[in-house]
Amino acid sequence: MTVREHELVLPLTESAVRSLAVGDTVFLSGEIFATAGLPTHDRLLRCLDGDEALPFDMKGGALFHLGSLNEEAEDGSHHIIYMNPTTSTRFNGHMPRLIEGLGLRATGGKGGLSAESAEAMTRLGCVYLSFLGGGAQIITAAIRKVTGIGWPEMISHYRIARIEVERLGPLTVGIDAHGNSIYDLTNAKALENRSAILARMNAARAAIGKP
Amino acid sequence: MPITDDMILEATQQLYSRALRKVPEDTKAALAEAMRRETNETARRTLNMQLKSAELAERKDAFVCSDSGVPVYFVKVGSKAELACDFKASIRKGYEILVETIDPPLLKHVTNPLTLERGYHGKDMPIVSYDFESGVDYVEMVCTPKALGSGRWAALELFTFPTLEQIETYILDVAIKAGAQHCPPVIMGVGIGGTFDHCAGLAKKQTLRPIGKKNDDPMLAAMEERLTDAVNALGFGPMGTGGDTTALAVHVDYSSGHGFTPVAVCFNCWINRRTSVRIWGDGRMEWGE
Repeated sequence: MTVREHELVLPLTESAVRSLAVGDTVFLSGEIFATAGLPTHDRLLRCLDGDEALPFDMKGGALFHLGSLNEEAEDGSHHIIYMNPTTSTRFNGHMPRLIEGLGLRATGGKGGLSAESAEAMTRLGCVYLSFLGGGAQIITAAIRKVTGIGWPEMISHYRIARIEVERLGPLTVGIDAHGNSIYDLTNAKALENRSAILARMNAARAAIGKP
Repeated sequence: MPITDDMILEATQQLYSRALRKVPEDTKAALAEAMRRETNETARRTLNMQLKSAELAERKDAFVCSDSGVPVYFVKVGSKAELACDFKASIRKGYEILVETIDPPLLKHVTNPLTLERGYHGKDMPIVSYDFESGVDYVEMVCTPKALGSGRWAALELFTFPTLEQIETYILDVAIKAGAQHCPPVIMGVGIGGTFDHCAGLAKKQTLRPIGKKNDDPMLAAMEERLTDAVNALGFGPMGTGGDTTALAVHVDYSSGHGFTPVAVCFNCWINRRTSVRIWGDGRMEWGE
């Protein structure tokens, strides 16, 4: 089976998002938001509650779970030295509301999100994109410009970086906007295979006389 | 000539810095071998990208991952090594110098578990275990920075007089629970027996064993083969997008104990960070992986 490949320009339209299917490969160009902070996600939820203003207009945007070492130069410009995904499931509790509240068209990181997020993504038209963990050099190479740093008082990887990227990828569609999650599928398959795998292990032990 | 504080300072810094930039050769070979065998196209592409990421980081002398983890060291002192150093103080100081001077800088991952404040330093940092080795005239240091992605899925359970079936079922269930959250393909370390603390140490040390070296104990070698096949049959695949390669290796060690039997399982992500050095009193430092 050949993997479908998409070159997409941000911001994504709903129809572009809905054209993607689990397993597809995606390259992204345009503006993304990146953070790896749990306190940042708490704070984003407080923004939705009206307690604080968002650092950027993030409506219809792409928010990824990417941690970065970002620095400010003397002329006030920002630079990212390296950037890499973090585990998205840490934000399972935040993402359904953030997907809806921010109207996100794309989110991502590594490890996927829960069924509650997948449901929100189907309902609202959003996808989850899987990044390569330990892919810092590949991911950082796609950065063209850092156009803003939100909440600079936080530690580096907690801040929200607004970044122009060019051909960020390859990323894999982990959860599409049609209720399909590669993570739920692989988990279900693993559980389904469990008894057969255990039976094979028992047989292998029995063959060498080790119960 | 004795081993000095300066040598320990140098080793502490270099080991950590090297671990962040270079994927061990045996791990790259195992990824390449997995790519050859893998039947899932997305999985093959991910494995290829992992090798490319490793190559880029090595060539640019840059970090493979942004999570530089918490500092973890193992020290083994040879019975014939002559020492003129304060190990604990020098490792702590070496780590402090590293944090101030490393290029590029590290992100702040050391976390106070009670307040969730993060920085470079904290209670018990770096985490160091000490041991002895009979009959050798060197000191060996190993560094294995531990990040969140793979660190959080380790598990330990206590059994009483378990059968091999119970032990292996538990190990498989830990692998199922971890799923693909730990940046697979992983190296799994398993400890069986001893006491709670000793068993966890056994598992951890097994993640540091070179890949591809068959266990000397035939019973453990057979168990490793069964478990590697079993974990890979789960189908999570590289980065969890499906495939035949979830574990590059499962390494097992055991210890005698009482009838209460701990079983510990832990994981190293695909970049498998580990570096080692042997230090002699004449100033020689032999670097390894």
